[in-house]
Amino acid sequence: MAAAPRPVLVALGSEARALRLIQAGFRLAQERSVPWIAVHVELGGVDLAEDGEQAEVWLQEAQRLGAEIRIVQAPTLAQGLSEAVRSSRAQALLIGRSRDRWPWARVGHSTANELLRRGLDARIEVLDDRRGSPESDPARTGFGAMVGTLAVLAACTGVAWLVPREGNISLVLPVYLAAVTFIAHHWSQGLAVLASVMSALLYSFLLETPRFSQVDAHWPNLLFFLAMLFAAQAVVGLLHRLRQQAREVERREVHTASLYLLGRALGRGRTPEEVATTAAEHLRRVFKVEAHLLFPEGSSWRALPSPGPLLDLPPPEALLPRLDAGERLGDPLEPLPLGRAHCLSLLGTDRSEGVLLVQPRESSAPPPETWELLKAFAVQIALALERLRWLEEARKAQLENETERMRSTLLGAIGHDLRTPLAAIHGAAGSLLLPGDLPPATQRDLLTMIQDESERLAHLLGNLLDLTRLESGALQVQKEWQPLEEVVGSALGRLERRQGPLPVHVDLPESLPLVPLDAALMEQVLVNLLTNAQRHAPGNDIELRAWGEPGWVHLEVADRGPGIPAPFLDRIFDKFFRLPGAGEGGVGMGLAICRAIVLAHGGSVHAEHRPGGGSRFRVALPLDGTAPAPPEGSP
Amino acid sequence: MNQPLILIIEDEESLRRFLVPTLSGQRYQVLSAATAAEGLAMARSHNPDLVLLDLGLPDRDGMAVLKELRTWSRKPVVILSARNQERDKVRALDQGADDYLAKPFGAAELLARIRVALRHILQADLADPVVHGGGIRIDLEQREVRLEGRPVKLTGLEYRLLEALVRRNGKVATHSQLLSEVWGPGGEGNTHYLRIYMAMLRKKLEADPTRPRHFITEPSVGYRLNLDARED
Repeated sequence: MAAAPRPVLVALGSEARALRLIQAGFRLAQERSVPWIAVHVELGGVDLAEDGEQAEVWLQEAQRLGAEIRIVQAPTLAQGLSEAVRSSRAQALLIGRSRDRWPWARVGHSTANELLRRGLDARIEVLDDRRGSPESDPARTGFGAMVGTLAVLAACTGVAWLVPREGNISLVLPVYLAAVTFIAHHWSQGLAVLASVMSALLYSFLLETPRFSQVDAHWPNLLFFLAMLFAAQAVVGLLHRLRQQAREVERREVHTASLYLLGRALGRGRTPEEVATTAAEHLRRVFKVEAHLLFPEGSSWRALPSPGPLLDLPPPEALLPRLDAGERLGDPLEPLPLGRAHCLSLLGTDRSEGVLLVQPRESSAPPPETWELLKAFAVQIALALERLRWLEEARKAQLENETERMRSTLLGAIGHDLRTPLAAIHGAAGSLLLPGDLPPATQRDLLTMIQDESERLAHLLGNLLDLTRLESGALQVQKEWQPLEEVVGSALGRLERRQGPLPVHVDLPESLPLVPLDAALMEQVLVNLLTNAQRHAPGNDIELRAWGEPGWVHLEVADRGPGIPAPFLDRIFDKFFRLPGAGEGGVGMGLAICRAIVLAHGGSVHAEHRPGGGSRFRVALPLDGTAPAPPEGSP
Repeated sequence: MNQPLILIIEDEESLRRFLVPTLSGQRYQVLSAATAAEGLAMARSHNPDLVLLDLGLPDRDGMAVLKELRTWSRKPVVILSARNQERDKVRALDQGADDYLAKPFGAAELLARIRVALRHILQADLADPVVHGGGIRIDLEQREVRLEGRPVKLTGLEYRLLEALVRRNGKVATHSQLLSEVWGPGGEGNTHYLRIYMAMLRKKLEADPTRPRHFITEPSVGYRLNLDARED
C-alpha cells in the first residue's frame, strides 16, 4: 500500500504577510502535487479578538485555494506547530519570520530555531519578507554618521565635564542616555551600541575621579552603562516601531481614502465608458500611471476610455490564459508584466470582467508596496463593471418580460377581435347556404352583416398593419407643406362617405399657416380621433378646431361624452388599452396609432378633461424648417 | 360597345371568384387571367375595353405589365393595390394607369370606378365641352364656371387647375400630373402650390370647404373631381 503523500504545512498568524505565506504554500503544494494544510496556533489567552478575526480571513483564503484548515491550541507557537507537523506527517513547514519580538529574542529563541531544536522530520522554511521593505535604511551608517556620533559623544563629555560630579554617576548618566538615544534614533542601532561602550569608557577614563586609577572600583559604573545601553536600545526599538507603525497607518489611511474615493466615483458610472474614465483618472492620480480597461472582442481588444496605444498586446486568446495561470498560481490578481506595462485581471465575484492595463508614465515602475493597493483598485473596478453587467442583464430580462407580456396581450386581443367578426361571417354565410328559402329580408340582413363584419375585419387588420409598420419604422413620414384644411377635409370626407353626415363642427382660422405633415398619416390621426369621439359620445356634437402659435400648430378634437377617468388619461394611448366598461367596438389600437404617427411627426398628443364635461384630445405639430414661398398671385 | 369587355389580371383566386360574377352581373363581358404572361396574351388577342390589373403578380411586376400594355393600347387600366403599395400606386398612375382601387374594396366602389374609367373614353369620343353636376356647371369652350347658376370668377391658374381635373372626368389625377399640366414642366416640386390653389377652388366652389363633396383629396396620391350628385 502506497503511503499517502505528505502534505505541506503553512503556519498562519494574523499578520498581513500571511497572504504571501498562503501563496507560497499553495505554489509549493502545486509543485510537489501534494495536499496542503493551513494551520493556526491559538496561544492560550494571548490572542486578541481582532487578531482572531484576521486569522479567520486568512484561513478562509487558504481554504479557497484548496488548503485543509487546522486550528491548534498550545501554550507556545513552536509547541503547537510541532504537534501539527507530527500529526499531519508534513514534509515541509512554512513559517514567516516573526517581527513582533524584542531584538534579543531574535538571536536564539525564534520559533524557527525552537522548531529546529525539536528535531522534526520536516523541512522548515522561513519566509523572509524583509527584503526591500522600507524599515532598513542603509544610507544612514556611513562616514558622516560615524563623525556625527563622535561629535555628539564629544559634546556630551564636554557637558558632563562641566557638571559637578563628586563620584555621583546619576547626574552624568542622563546626558549620555540622551546622546545614545539620539544616535540610535538618528543614525543606526550599531552606532548606538558603539556609542554606549564609548560613553562607558569615556566616563571611566575621563570623568571618574580619581582618573586612570582604581579601575576595579569602576565596575559598578560600567554595569550601569551596560544597563543604559540596553535601555537606549529598547527606547530606540520602540521608537522605531512606533514610527513604522505611524508610517504604515498613514499609508493605510491614504490607501483607504483613495479606495473610498474610487469606490464612490465608480458607483456613479452608468456605462463601461464612464467606469473606465473614472478608473483611469484615479489610477493616474494615485499611481502616476496611464490606465486602460481592455475588453476582449473576438480576437482583438476594445480599450476604454480611449483606444490608446495598445502596445503590441497579445490577442485575448493568448493573454487571458496567462492571466488565468496567475490565478492558478495562487494570486488571481497578480499583475502580469508586459514590457513596461502590467496587466491585471479584473476579477468579479463570478468571472473576469476584463483586463486592467497600466503603463508607468515615467521610466520607473511604481514601487512594489503600491501593488497591493493597485490590486484593490482592480477589485473595485471589477465590481463596478460587474454591477453594470448585472444591471444590464436585469434590464434585458425586464424588457423580455415586457415583450412577452405585450405578445400575450396582442395574441389575446387579436384572437378575440378577429374571431368575433369571422364567426359572424362564417355563420351568416352558412345559413344563407342552407337548403330551403329564407325570407328575402332575412337574406338581406345576413348579407349586410357579412359586409359589415368583413369591413370591421379589414379595418382591424389595417390598424394592426399600420401599427406594426409605424413601430418598426418601416413607415416613413413624408412631410409636405400643406394647408391643414385639406387634411381635415379628406378625413371628414372619408368618414362621411362611410357613415353619412357627422355632427362635427369645424373651426379652422383663415390665418393658419401651411403645416409640414404626411397627409395620409395625419388623415388617419383625425379619422381615429373623430371615430373615437363618436364612439364614446354617440350623437353628440364634436368640435374640431385648430390654432397656431410661433413654431407650432395645435389641433383639438373635443366631445361631450362621459369623459375619461383621470387615472386612464395617459394610458388610453397604450396599445390594446380599452377603458373599463367601454363595451364592444375598438381594439385599443386607434389612439396608439395616433400617438405613433404624431410622435413620428415630432409632435405630441394628449388627452384631458374638457371643461363642462367630456374629453378633448390635443395634437401639437411642429412647424420645423422654413415654409416654402407662396405662389405669386395667391392671397 | 354595348357590352364592354373587361380583362381581370389577378392571381388571387378568391378575388377572381368575386370579381367575375359581380362584373358579369352588371352585363360586362369578363375575361380573367392569373398571371402577367397570360394576361398580356389575352389583352393582345381580345383587346379589352378596360383592364383591372393587380400590382402584385407572381411572375412579373404589375408595373412592367402596365408599361407593356401602354406601348400599344390607350384603353383604361385600373390598378388593384394592396395597402402597403402606396408608392407603386402613384407610380402606376403617373405611368399611365387611369385609376386605382385599394384592397379591400366593395362592389359599389369597384363599379363606380369602372363606370368612370369607361365614361372617360366615351366622353373623349363625344368631346362635350360642358360638364355639370352638384350645382356646378363648367363650360370648357366659353371658359365659364357657374355655381347654382351664378357665375364664379376664377383666376387663370385656378381655371387651369379646374380644367385639368374636369378633363380627367372623375378619374384621379396625381400631384405630379396636375403640377406639370397647370404649371408646366419643372413645377413638379411645388406640391404646396397645388394644395393652396385647391384650397382656393374649394372656397369658391364648395358649400363647406372642410367637407369637400366635389374636390376630393386622395391622400398621398392626388385629387379627383366628382361632379356626380351621388356619393361613391
